[in-house]
Amino acid sequence: MTKPLNKGMLSRWLLSGEWRTHRVQLAAAIIAIALGVALGFAIHLINTAAFNEFSAAAKSLSGQSDLQVRGPQVTFDESLYPVLAQHRDVELANPVLELDVAIPGNSQERNNATLKILGLDIFHASVMTPDLIGIPAEEKLFDILADDAIFLSPAAMEWLGVKQGDPLQLRVGTQTITLRIAGGLTRARAGQRIGVMDIGAAQWRLQRVGQLSRIELKLLPGVDRAAFKTKLEQELELRGQYLVTEPANEETRVANMSRAYRVNLNMLAMVALFTGTFLVFSTQALSVVRRRHQFALLRVLGLTRRQLLGQVLFEGTALGAIGSLTGLALGYVTAATALHYFGGDLGGGFFTGIKPDVHFDLLAASVFFILGLGITLLGSAAPAWEAATANPAPALKSGSEDIALSKLATPWPGLICLVSGIVFTQLPPIFDLPIFGYLAIAQLLTGGIILMPRFAALVFSVASSTLSSRTSPAQVAAPALTTLALARLANAPNQAAIALGGVLASFTLIVAMAIMVSSFRVSVDDWLKHVLPADLYLRTGTGGDARGLTPAETKALEAIPGLARVDFLRSSQLALDPDRPSIALIARPIDMTDPGNTLPMTGEAISPPLLPEGTMPIWVSEAMVDLYGYTPGKRVTLPIATPAPSFVIAGVWRDYGRQFGAIQMQLADYQALTGDRLVNDAALWLQNGTTSEQVIASMRRLPFGDALDFSEPGQIRSLSLNIFDRSFAVTYLLEGVAVVIGLLGVAASFSAQALARTREFGMLRHIGMTRRQILGMLAVEGGLLTALGAVLGFVLGWCISLILVFIVNPQSFHWTMQLNLPWKGLLAVALILMASASMTAVASGRHAVSGNAVRAVREDW
Amino acid sequence: MVAYRAACGAEFNRFMLELRHIGKAYASGRQVLADLSYTLDAGEYVAIMGESGVGKSTLLNLIAGLDIPDTGEILINGTTMSSLSDDAATRLRRKEFGFIFQAFHILPHLTLSQNIALPLLLNDASTERAEQMLEAVGLRGRGSHFPRQLSGGELQRVAIARALVHSPKLILADEPTGNLDPDTAHDILMLMRREIKANGASGIIVTHSRAAAATADRVLVLTKQGLHPLVPADAADAAHAANAADSPQRG
Amino acid sequence: MHILKCCSTHTDFFPGYWRSIFQLMRRPIPLQGLFVTFFVVTCFAATCVFATPPRFSPVVRDMPLTFPHDFGDHPSFRNEWWYATGWLETPEKKPLGFQITFFRVATEHDRTNPSRFAPQHLIIAHAALSDPAAGKLLHDQKSAREGFGLAYTKEGNTDVKLGDWYLVREENGRYQTSIKAEDFMLHLSLTPTQPPMLQDINGFSRKGPRPEQASYYYSEPQLQVSGTVTRTGKEIAVSGVAWLDHEWSTAYLDPAADGWDWVGANLDDGSSLMAFRIRGKDGGKVWAYAGIRDPSGRFTKFEPEQVTFEPQRTWRSPLTNATYPVEMQITTGSTVWLLTPLQDDQELDSRQSTGAVYWEGAVTVTRDGEPAGRGYYEMTGYVEPLEL
Repeated sequence: MTKPLNKGMLSRWLLSGEWRTHRVQLAAAIIAIALGVALGFAIHLINTAAFNEFSAAAKSLSGQSDLQVRGPQVTFDESLYPVLAQHRDVELANPVLELDVAIPGNSQERNNATLKILGLDIFHASVMTPDLIGIPAEEKLFDILADDAIFLSPAAMEWLGVKQGDPLQLRVGTQTITLRIAGGLTRARAGQRIGVMDIGAAQWRLQRVGQLSRIELKLLPGVDRAAFKTKLEQELELRGQYLVTEPANEETRVANMSRAYRVNLNMLAMVALFTGTFLVFSTQALSVVRRRHQFALLRVLGLTRRQLLGQVLFEGTALGAIGSLTGLALGYVTAATALHYFGGDLGGGFFTGIKPDVHFDLLAASVFFILGLGITLLGSAAPAWEAATANPAPALKSGSEDIALSKLATPWPGLICLVSGIVFTQLPPIFDLPIFGYLAIAQLLTGGIILMPRFAALVFSVASSTLSSRTSPAQVAAPALTTLALARLANAPNQAAIALGGVLASFTLIVAMAIMVSSFRVSVDDWLKHVLPADLYLRTGTGGDARGLTPAETKALEAIPGLARVDFLRSSQLALDPDRPSIALIARPIDMTDPGNTLPMTGEAISPPLLPEGTMPIWVSEAMVDLYGYTPGKRVTLPIATPAPSFVIAGVWRDYGRQFGAIQMQLADYQALTGDRLVNDAALWLQNGTTSEQVIASMRRLPFGDALDFSEPGQIRSLSLNIFDRSFAVTYLLEGVAVVIGLLGVAASFSAQALARTREFGMLRHIGMTRRQILGMLAVEGGLLTALGAVLGFVLGWCISLILVFIVNPQSFHWTMQLNLPWKGLLAVALILMASASMTAVASGRHAVSGNAVRAVREDW
Repeated sequence: MVAYRAACGAEFNRFMLELRHIGKAYASGRQVLADLSYTLDAGEYVAIMGESGVGKSTLLNLIAGLDIPDTGEILINGTTMSSLSDDAATRLRRKEFGFIFQAFHILPHLTLSQNIALPLLLNDASTERAEQMLEAVGLRGRGSHFPRQLSGGELQRVAIARALVHSPKLILADEPTGNLDPDTAHDILMLMRREIKANGASGIIVTHSRAAAATADRVLVLTKQGLHPLVPADAADAAHAANAADSPQRG
Repeated sequence: MHILKCCSTHTDFFPGYWRSIFQLMRRPIPLQGLFVTFFVVTCFAATCVFATPPRFSPVVRDMPLTFPHDFGDHPSFRNEWWYATGWLETPEKKPLGFQITFFRVATEHDRTNPSRFAPQHLIIAHAALSDPAAGKLLHDQKSAREGFGLAYTKEGNTDVKLGDWYLVREENGRYQTSIKAEDFMLHLSLTPTQPPMLQDINGFSRKGPRPEQASYYYSEPQLQVSGTVTRTGKEIAVSGVAWLDHEWSTAYLDPAADGWDWVGANLDDGSSLMAFRIRGKDGGKVWAYAGIRDPSGRFTKFEPEQVTFEPQRTWRSPLTNATYPVEMQITTGSTVWLLTPLQDDQELDSRQSTGAVYWEGAVTVTRDGEPAGRGYYEMTGYVEPLEL
């Protein structure tokens, strides 16, 4: 027999013996690792697939251009086109009109969605964006230039329930136009909902004559792009406000749209993995503790320290590898299933309308495998070290388990974690991401869990002594159980703490997330109440590109009887930075005596009378302050007219609707500056005695009445909150997984302890305790432990929720909120957790008390 | 007599244990062993008796290298134990020593064969001898059983097989019959003596029981003053018992 | 006469050609030259359903051409082209052939569309250079919608432009043209030595048995060419003789037509010959015509029955498998002409871009066996249907 074979055989004997007899703990640990890895990997795969597909779809719209020229607003005048087309360094200039056009009919049905329509010049687009060429019917090739034809991607046809040859109705302002679906597209991406028209037809039919969205440039070979870009920017400065962007800008812009969301989701997944770490640690630690005799014997028989350390780590590696591989497989299947059935959008609304395919990402798989394996080894390392360095002679005697664990419970690392966590909360975001916020959360969680044994010992010994001093000998059964349970918890706090790690981690996270979500939801609700003061709202189509109501139409609306007041609103898109998504510009009447009557101000504001004479005020959302540095009092220019008018920032308002930024200004100022007389929305206040139904009925009778969408504030509120809840559905799921992992931890550690305590139970049975009483004692232990975990988890979770509410959210999404504690829900979860923990403890202990009591006392293992 | 033993030892067993002025105190400060000296000859099987707390187990731990004496030194084949690293001590222990415990300490998740084969695996030796030993301790054909299926006496037989399977030079037994009823205890003691002798090992048995001590070649009593031979009356009993154990099977 | 004529035909003209376009369209290929399918389809007015299709002017017999106005564009007619071909000579006395064509095609797009992008007219250009030393044709094409001053055909005088390709007639009658193709560049001046030659009945050129099957057609033969040809970055001075056709029409070609053969030749004695025949699907002759103007300006016209085309030698294209009668004998009255190509392979195979395939090349011409001059010869409709 060769040497390694022997050692390997010993390792295998020990491993299989251990795993064969402790299947529950083994399964719990593997499930914990697998769930954590699976969740992280699945979310990564889904996000990556969705993001890549979204980027690819966005990229496919801009094709193979070297540079793009666009205006700050949705469209700009086409007079720039011949200038660029004839530019010395330009090989090809591809004019594009890209609009999101509303589909008439029940807008709720399609979730207020719009169809993206591209107006293209086939002669240039066939070079620049060959995928976006329409395929006409064989006998109607000329449809490609027809004035009434539109070509739809397969996803758009499916979505709209139409086919080639069908008419397609679109809402342009208050009018409905009808186009003919002339065919499909050469190669649209799966799920991509777009339509393509001839650019001349699009300008005409979509009422954008003379307007372009962008001009894509292909430069002559040998032209230096960066130098040309600089030169072109200078040349264009004389002509008006234009943005010259590179494909990289576009990529950044698309990435910026969903980055905060993706990072936050990944962080949540990491948290699940993190919770799993504590479970693995407790499983491994308890397994080592339980086998102290065994290891001591092996040491006596001649196993060296290194060999013993190796053995424990080998077991950890096997556990981690199996768990991680299972997790990867599970994660992949989950991602594939989720992508297949729900698409790439996990509720955030960032990736609607695409159909990404899951791609196995070897690098990510390796990272998650190493992560899963790493945390398992980390969880095994400390117990392994303790086992290897223990003196075998005393370890052969029983009763030394908690001493062993006490080495793992020095308070300093915990305190360092807590302090560094607090320091991290004070640090600014990195790359617009709350990296330190997340680190602070991790540190607080780790610190809290490390300090857990101290708390447990303190709390339970105080409780124990209080109870024993108060209990009179007359009281018997129940206090006896409690006394025993408390004594055990007080005197062996380390084992208790390990059992508690998972519970604490999961409950902390539940509390933190619940407080955050509840704070957010209550804030959104309050905000909605504030921003929806009118009795009835009216709008024309959706999306930033809708044409809206003409002055004649607004007059007709105002003339409807029963109206006390009508506020019209014009909203449009404004691109201020090529690397960032467009901001929203909203023009509406704003109460100059107190803008807070119109806008949900956050506090910082300059009272309009205090504004310098002759300046126009604008009010910006919180995101504008973070992303563009638009602080109150600052003077800024906005490219909404030529030359760009300047404004003073008069205040900051809260906006939960647009995380990329929004600006509000007086409608009168806007119309005077831009000459744009169209409006999109109206807020209607009714006279007393007039009902919404009456007003809607009279407005419907107007010639353009069919194009109007009416909603009452209540409907908008419930719809908004619905969307809100949907976007947090994944969060709830992640919380659920964290709870399951936490309970698995309770099950694993209690069953491990129960087995380790077989002799103790045997002795208790000898001295007259019934099985029921022993189980009762276990239930009390489990309940007490979970109660402590819940209390501590609540404190810790509350701290973390502060970080989420006041650091992570403002830094990620640029909105602030008020703190709100969902007491009832949290109490319910805590009780459920306690009950489940007690039941788990009892279920785990049942096996240990079922054995022969006499035998149990004699058994040493 | 001494010369004969030495010659025998030289012939098939060079093992020699020497205790020189050993002193050891508990962590609490209580002195348990003081200036203890003893030399165990090769092939010698001694029993150590003494009152509770006099340091019998401590002495065994010191000999096994599981603990280090405060004063004095323990030499095994001339090497000072305390000069060895933990790894070196461990290697010495797994090669030269066999252990038998009061609480058996049989790994519950391994079969009897596997339990017995442990020292062979640790010494990178072939596991064939495990079956021979199983047979030698009277558990033939039960190699695939698990410890939970065995009585205490049977468990201790397994422990004896394990202690001797790798042909160690010294068997250390700490109250091997403490958990057994008297009849079983006698069988086990006879088996132990027989196997130790059959394997040519030396043995030290720590026990409370005079009957148990009587199965050894020599009986020593550990007191605060040191190790002393037992009074002659006891020695006679012990010699008788030893002969009784020796004669029937082996000649 | 040019391939553009194919657009004046009804369905099933060039069936194989059609099919290949479709097969190409189904493939993910660059579609810059999708225009060929467009202008081929332009004529399918019957199948197009527009709110307000434009009305085009008809070609009528008694409408005398007036110059210089008719040198310019006629946007009220459906199709129009300027088409220059000729022989060039390098400083080393090596012969080259060239072809430059600008088409304007009116679409059925609603004329009330106020957008400047409304594709009411498409401008398409082809350019080719034959070099026997290279053994094959270099060619390129462009297309765009008219508008923004980037692509146009102007009225009043010849002034057509497509990006940086242009053909302009100066006040003094000299044409300037510049073509920056992918593989070559042409900068040429074409100077007339004779007045325009009005084809058929004073420029009313019949294309079929029905009276409306006609176009307005004049030629500028015997143009003196000077300029430069640039290939692989090397510019050389060239001189030579060219022929320019200008033709516009609205009508369709006869439904029975399958393709045509056409030649325009500058004869060494200063005479000019133009002849074509339109082949029927049955292999017969749908229509034919020849016109000869001698140096004194006397014009002789030949009726369809006086003109016969007889293939002498064929060449099979290895790329398209089409078999072209590259040597053609033409009889006009009692005169026998023989066309011999500068090189066999002068096929424009743009299947990978536009889908258009035709033979268009420089030829030498003999009259009754005697060398007579040089010209350009065009053959369409020879590509067999691709069976996949």
